[in-house]
Amino acid sequence: MSWVGRSLEGRIARVLTIGTLVAVGLLLVGSVLLLGSGRSPLDSAPALDLGRMWADLATFHPAGALWLGLIVVIATPAARVAAALAGYAVQGEREMAVISGLVLAVIAAGVVAGTLGS
Amino acid sequence: MEVGLLMLGGGIVAGVFGSLLGLGGGILIVPLLTIGFGLPVREAVGISLICVIMTSGASAAVFLERDVANLRLGMLLELFTAIGAVVGGAVAFLIDQRYLAGMLAILMVYVAVTMLRSATRPAAAPAEAVADTAEPLDAAGAASSPASGVPSSATPAAPPGRVPFIDRLSRPGYRVRRLKLGAVGSVGAGILSALLGIGGGVVKVPLMHLLMGVPLRVSTATSNLMIGITASTSAIVYLLRGGIAPYAAGPTAVGVFIGATIGSRSAHRVDLRVLRLLFVVVLLYTAYEMSRQALGQA
Repeated sequence: MSWVGRSLEGRIARVLTIGTLVAVGLLLVGSVLLLGSGRSPLDSAPALDLGRMWADLATFHPAGALWLGLIVVIATPAARVAAALAGYAVQGEREMAVISGLVLAVIAAGVVAGTLGS
Repeated sequence: MEVGLLMLGGGIVAGVFGSLLGLGGGILIVPLLTIGFGLPVREAVGISLICVIMTSGASAAVFLERDVANLRLGMLLELFTAIGAVVGGAVAFLIDQRYLAGMLAILMVYVAVTMLRSATRPAAAPAEAVADTAEPLDAAGAASSPASGVPSSATPAAPPGRVPFIDRLSRPGYRVRRLKLGAVGSVGAGILSALLGIGGGVVKVPLMHLLMGVPLRVSTATSNLMIGITASTSAIVYLLRGGIAPYAAGPTAVGVFIGATIGSRSAHRVDLRVLRLLFVVVLLYTAYEMSRQALGQA
């Protein structure tokens, strides 16, 4: 079924499925690179740094794929809420659109809470 | 290499158990990583949250496609679980890790007792009171009979805008009630999830089912949908505060995903009653070990 022809639930399900599969793929690649490089999962990894992450990805350093995979895992539920927000707005369900927006605002508060404490 | 494969294997076992028993694996990951691999409790909680998001994401998609989960109710309640998750995520970095171990031990004993009670019941529904993420994927039917408590998706809903908000959260076959209590309980579920690295279904399912009048299967599916937001909100706090170790998270999360997939496909071939009793023993042993950590003896 095409994206347009799907129900809101169907579109959200698609977002979740794609996000989860991409995340699993990245974590799998990162894990294979990790084990293949002889590192132990108990070794300390480079801290999260978006600039370095892309460089690590380009050089097949395991930290690159693993950090990106973790970011995709964490971002997938938020993407699902964003898809719901768009869907409710299009359907004219103002209350549900506002609730979806508030959920995204609380997630943003989590980013602030994490950044302030780091 | 060996440690990585052991983590992958441990994740698979946790995923299989979690999927078969409707627990999602969250309650097993923290003991696995702390007792088995010596990781600090807080780091183990961060990794457990990642595993919980992944397993719930996959099964929530199925529940949505089959129209079992109540998306509107889930969206509303996850607003409150997310608030709890931000609070819990911040608090988790302020309290001694031994308290976290102690709380997890208490939760394990509670889940073990609940599971023992349902295992000794003749025809208990799976994941009745302790569902953490989802029933096995293949167990979720779409338009089931009224006796199952799941409304048929073929029944037309009232058009939005003409009915009170609470009725728009309801579906044919059941009416949602006690929204305020549900919101308060959801904040508690979010805090618990962030502190202990679990999905929080142990609170959300009874809350929706017993307090808010939502059928059990809908409660389980909706709780599963909410878990992604709950866990990801606190995982953001853990991630940005350096509470997630990527090298350990990778093999463990991949293992849990593989295990959950295996579990969901083999649910019908397994004697869940025997499995539950075995799991009770595992839970009580790990609760004992976590208690020793809490008391500084391990």
